[in-house]
Amino acid sequence: MPEPKSLLELRSVSKSYGSTAVLHKVDLGVRDGEFITILGPSGSGKTTILRIIGGFTTPSEGEILLDGHNIASMPINRRPFNTVFQDYALFPHLTVEGNVGYGLVVRGTPHAETSTRVHDALELVQLGTFGKRYPAELSGGQRQRVALARAIICRPRLILLDEPLAALDVALRRQMQVFLKSIQAEIRTTFLFVTHDQEEAIAMADRICVMNSGRIQQIGSPHEVYYRPASEFVARFFGENNLIPGVLGEMIGETRAIETEVGRVLCSIDGQPEIAALPSGRKAWAACRPEAIVIDGAGAEENQISAIVTQVAFAGASTMTSAVAEAAPGLVMRARMQSRPVGYTLARGDAVTLAFSSTACRVVPA
Amino acid sequence: MTTADFNHHVDGRRSWLLAVTAFFGPVLFILVPIGLFLSYSFFSVEQGAIVYTPSLGNFIRFFTDPIFVPIFWRTCLLCLAVAAVCVLLAFPVAYFLTTLRGRWRYVLLVLLLIPLLMSYVIKIYAVRSILGGNGLLNRMLIAVGIIDQPSMLFVFNLNAVLLTLTVLLIPFAVLPIFLSLERIPQSLHQASADLGASNTQTFWRITLPLSLPGAVSATSFVFVLAIGDFLTPQMVGGQSGFTFGRIIYSQFGTAFNWPFGAALSVILVAVVVAAIGLGGRFGRHRGTF
Repeated sequence: MPEPKSLLELRSVSKSYGSTAVLHKVDLGVRDGEFITILGPSGSGKTTILRIIGGFTTPSEGEILLDGHNIASMPINRRPFNTVFQDYALFPHLTVEGNVGYGLVVRGTPHAETSTRVHDALELVQLGTFGKRYPAELSGGQRQRVALARAIICRPRLILLDEPLAALDVALRRQMQVFLKSIQAEIRTTFLFVTHDQEEAIAMADRICVMNSGRIQQIGSPHEVYYRPASEFVARFFGENNLIPGVLGEMIGETRAIETEVGRVLCSIDGQPEIAALPSGRKAWAACRPEAIVIDGAGAEENQISAIVTQVAFAGASTMTSAVAEAAPGLVMRARMQSRPVGYTLARGDAVTLAFSSTACRVVPA
Repeated sequence: MTTADFNHHVDGRRSWLLAVTAFFGPVLFILVPIGLFLSYSFFSVEQGAIVYTPSLGNFIRFFTDPIFVPIFWRTCLLCLAVAAVCVLLAFPVAYFLTTLRGRWRYVLLVLLLIPLLMSYVIKIYAVRSILGGNGLLNRMLIAVGIIDQPSMLFVFNLNAVLLTLTVLLIPFAVLPIFLSLERIPQSLHQASADLGASNTQTFWRITLPLSLPGAVSATSFVFVLAIGDFLTPQMVGGQSGFTFGRIIYSQFGTAFNWPFGAALSVILVAVVVAAIGLGGRFGRHRGTF
């Protein structure tokens, strides 16, 4: 597969305020045309990355390469990027048209061209009739779309979005996620989107960069980050996960064994050659999603754990069963099954066998 | 009557009492004196005694006598000039303050406001000695070579009143401008730069328009304070620096014509209320959140 064209590259970028380091030697490549999401809890340094790229903060160390040239000292107004701010930062004394056209006016674009492009941008964000209004007269979602139109009108190489949906309610948020995605597909501009919401990241991104305490934990497609977590943090950050502690064992065929309290667990290493190279005896987790576990199945799965049911929680479409392993009383396993209208027999105290295949299980180095 | 009704009743009575107490002070000390002035303005004086027969004589005298209206206009123009000069000088100061980071910003602001704690009369004397024939200003101008003998342009005339009022009232212009500049979110400056604007463009297109409400309220603030001042013109104005405030002062003092002084005061109050109203009206942006 040919390597996709890289637009922007951060090389061992660090940032500290006094003695507090907020970014540690971050390496990140942004590909041309992709929708990349930087995801992390608050204080993870994700907004700092965006601010460094935008030019609002200067990195303490490292290079920012745009087309191979270091732009670390380039002033904000010269960078070919535009930002959608968390609080939108619309100019309150200008109309919607004034706000959207601002970037063109300060560049001295001819009046006629400015008004055509403002019109087109407002049409694109479906605010065609709102041009004469002031920001104070708009709803949150409308302000959001003005901010987006203002950012895309200058045809930047990269659009930076700083948690733009954080202030919206859930329903509007889902709607705006779809909307942003469709706009991105239409104008084919690279989007760098910062968020702390895992579901939002999974729903929107081509690639997710997971951050924690100033370090990149993993970069990959939503599917990779969900099913092949590279660290315990990532494995626990996205949704529910079963993590069985153990030590690395030998390679068995195309799988790697982890010796745990509940016996040997076989994990797929497909697409992760680095896992095969890890030395035996090293501490590791076997990670398996609750939806991959079958309760009292046909017995064909490689990995089987005997357990006692402690809780059966009905949650509409799915039912979550918690069971404690017989061999390890401290290990609570959770299995999610599709709910059925009739035929449930599981109850608290039942002895069951939890089975899962090696393909659903991955090694997470501890 | 149920307990709830009773409680409701007591609560209602208590809040009514609270409202009366809260309004008692302002009504007694502000509205009542203004009302008294208004009623006095319709009386007249005969042989040193006040005649309590209402008439419009005082107002007719103000508008028909050739002395008062020109002085009134001249005073309004003078105070507008003071306000304009104050705002023009205060804006760069306030802007400089907002560019400072952290503690220095507030240390300098407090230093600027310290003159407000000093006696008004002492400050007038201080400025007068600076403007006088042997004052700092004249000596500096001679030293630089702009003039070769002390100029009397700066004392005992309207120029002196203008300069002194400007010096004394500048802090009142700095404050509202500083506050309006400080209230502009940092993200707006960043957004402007992000969209390609230079620092100069950001200043003219974002900072200045958004600080206009502060500049307008500074103007009306300084104007109102200047037009009500009679001490400064009295002390530095000399013969030619006659202002409306001094006329009112003389009506209550040497002329002993309280009703006419009250009528002139009512006219002054009307101007002040109009200035504050205009300031409030243009001090708001329709687009401001």
